[in-house]
Amino acid sequence: MARKKGSYAGKILRVDLSSGKIEKQDLDFDFAHKYIGGRGFGSRVLYNEVPPEVAPLDPENRLIFTPGALFGTAVPAASRTTATAKSPVTEMFGDGHSSGHWGSLLKSAGYDQLIIQGAAEKPVYLSIDNDRVEIRDAKHLWGKSNMETNESLLETHGSREIGTLSIGPAGEKKVRLACIFSDGIMGTFARTGIGAVMGSKNLKAVATRGTGDVGIVDIEAFKKAYQDYLQVIAVDPYVPPATKYGTCRFMYHRVKFGIHGANNWRLGDFDWKPLDPEVFRSDYQIKASACPMCPVRCRREYRISTGKYAGTVTKLEWETIARCMTCGVNDPEAVIYFSHLCNQYGLDVEGMGDTIAFAMECFEKGLISEKETEGLRLVFGNSDALMEITRRIAYREGLGDLLAEGSLRAARAIGQGAEKYAMQVKGSEMSAADPRGMPVRAVSYATSTRGSDHLRSNPYVEELITPEEALQHFGSKEAADIFQGLKGKGRLLAWSENFVTIGDLLGLCKFAYYRSATFGYLRRKGVELATRFYNACNGTRLSEEEMLQAGERAFNMEKAFNVREGAGREKDIIPERFFKEALAGGGPSNGAVVDREKFDLILDEYYGSRGWNEKTGLPKKETLETLGLHDIAEDLGKRKRLG
Amino acid sequence: MPRTSTTAGVRKKGAKRRVLYVSLPDQPDRICSGCETCQLMCSLEKAGAFNPKKSRIKVLPLAVGITIPITCQQCEDPACQKACPEKAIVPHPKLNLLVVDEKKCTGCLACVGACPYGIMGYDPEKKIALKCDLCEGNPVCVQSCPSKVLELAGPQRSAEINRRRFAAILANEDTAARNNLAGAEQIKTLPRTLTLLAAQGAKAITEGGR
Repeated sequence: MARKKGSYAGKILRVDLSSGKIEKQDLDFDFAHKYIGGRGFGSRVLYNEVPPEVAPLDPENRLIFTPGALFGTAVPAASRTTATAKSPVTEMFGDGHSSGHWGSLLKSAGYDQLIIQGAAEKPVYLSIDNDRVEIRDAKHLWGKSNMETNESLLETHGSREIGTLSIGPAGEKKVRLACIFSDGIMGTFARTGIGAVMGSKNLKAVATRGTGDVGIVDIEAFKKAYQDYLQVIAVDPYVPPATKYGTCRFMYHRVKFGIHGANNWRLGDFDWKPLDPEVFRSDYQIKASACPMCPVRCRREYRISTGKYAGTVTKLEWETIARCMTCGVNDPEAVIYFSHLCNQYGLDVEGMGDTIAFAMECFEKGLISEKETEGLRLVFGNSDALMEITRRIAYREGLGDLLAEGSLRAARAIGQGAEKYAMQVKGSEMSAADPRGMPVRAVSYATSTRGSDHLRSNPYVEELITPEEALQHFGSKEAADIFQGLKGKGRLLAWSENFVTIGDLLGLCKFAYYRSATFGYLRRKGVELATRFYNACNGTRLSEEEMLQAGERAFNMEKAFNVREGAGREKDIIPERFFKEALAGGGPSNGAVVDREKFDLILDEYYGSRGWNEKTGLPKKETLETLGLHDIAEDLGKRKRLG
Repeated sequence: MPRTSTTAGVRKKGAKRRVLYVSLPDQPDRICSGCETCQLMCSLEKAGAFNPKKSRIKVLPLAVGITIPITCQQCEDPACQKACPEKAIVPHPKLNLLVVDEKKCTGCLACVGACPYGIMGYDPEKKIALKCDLCEGNPVCVQSCPSKVLELAGPQRSAEINRRRFAAILANEDTAARNNLAGAEQIKTLPRTLTLLAAQGAKAITEGGR
């Protein structure tokens, strides 16, 4: 019964929660090799099955979990699963990506993808035990935190060898900032409000046990690629700080450019010293942990031993620190506790940080009164207020009910010009660093298919590429100039989007493959080795070009999804603040804005190099057809949505 | 992180001892990251596929941020061998340790239940017991561990490690070592056994690890 299908399990599992019907289909291997896996499978199924008439919280929305094609193998850092659905935040394409054990166990159980449709009448959870798939009552789990749910499921199933997915109280209440967690708090499908979709289906959790093999075709080629990968990370200067500090290390990068975006994206510099990576490492870190198969080891769990947050043990990543700064908070213990609360309630720290910062600015401007906050002093830097409003958002209490809709919807309800304080793209709150002064970063936030996102592309390439490499790959030496460069930037952006998408298809971590200190290492890991690993595991002969094209294909499917929903060039835009208000607070980028003219020129070049119409931003027929997406071209043609 | 020092000297008196160390007392920076690479590399080596079920080494998550690799202790007085009704747990022809004779093993699970460390594995497809054989003296888990937590030591290296450990305990304030242990601030002395670390894990849970 050992499967000889390479790294694919060979079946797709479909569960209809309305009718209780459970279906297992064979995986079509032509489909598999075209769309690869992970985000590619998810995007394809979402385009096919969720037309514009279906609203994100309708039962007919799909919730699709797809482990990356290499998840379950020992390929380094192959540990990512994609959750895809129409987003309750953007009302367009939505997905989240997470590490954890669940994805590899789904593969071991025999499935490459889990598609959930319909909605249960009462709270349920899904139990997958190899062939046996059951929808079970989840009354006893409802209201529980992610850790409690995980523990309870481990106990019920009498085994530590299961993997779980769960939502916390926020997902149950369909908070649009809710996420899905993997294996307690091991990983998070964070963005685009995907936890609210799971909540809308009354699905509390998925527990999965699998005992089968994940296969491999060419063991020798795998071993060779493995050694080559280890050689690259042994010399890549990007790696040691990641291993030493985890993602907290990005603080040094933000300090270097002065792009914190503190106090709701107004301050470039900020009193960041209390949040120095060294503080987290020496005072709170339990140890350097790793996601499955990862030699980089940038996961971190932290513990607070004394003080008012004593006893807190939780996982935390850089974005939590960054978004606490967006709320003006620079107390490391408050940051850890905020992360703990979001993990327990099941909330996206990025969306939360920005939404709360939005509320703080409204409070500052008198658009939210102390009566509405019920006495809560919602001012920047007030960490107690941060914790309390987080709780209220999770349970939709008082003002929390409004903020649970996310910053854009809350702003529209508040009116009085509050919308300009909502820092979002396509409705999804900002992440990563302030783009002012660095136009291509700004454009990358705008072109992301799931709303503002720093992981949908890798514009950081401009920091590490040499002018000669820029000329060779993007047609102009200017592409290597972070601040002044213009030509080649659009091509660089398009390439980097296709490039990082490969990671989401294969389930490879962005930090282990798609960040590097030199362009050479970056391409070596992200394209060459990624392709070699895929070929070794599956006995295929994909070229590096074909792998990049697979990334482009997935990106175009998501774009087409958004275009079908009515989005065009006007949606590829960043908040006005970045164009109009100069970055303040001192630091290297003080006084910077995003130049609107440059923004538009880069966007033009980007659309051009993507083969999309420069004026409308809509994909051209021949572009989609070149990527083998004839049916999508036909569909968009019928709807008059081609460029 | 502890080391589990285990001797591979089973049958022949006076033969060379080999010890598979899990976490090295003289290398306190090396702590298991929980990446589980050893598990899948083991199953690839032994079964030609990726499957943690078929791995001879297991990485156990004890609490948030605490993971421990466990493998066969190569006991002096092996309970697995005593429990086996088929006499299928036999001396390795060359190395000084016991292995499962796949032809004799009927998959009755007696050894799996008897192993005091719970580390006898079971292949659900072949229906046989699985036991670590130290890969002919060059274990793939040791080769593949990114944190270099594992080491297969001969007698001289063992003596070096033991000496070091003993000195550290005598000094009783090896802060560098302690700071690198899971839950370091709670520990007054270096945890020397698996039991001690398990207690640490339990403590982390009661202290809010969930």
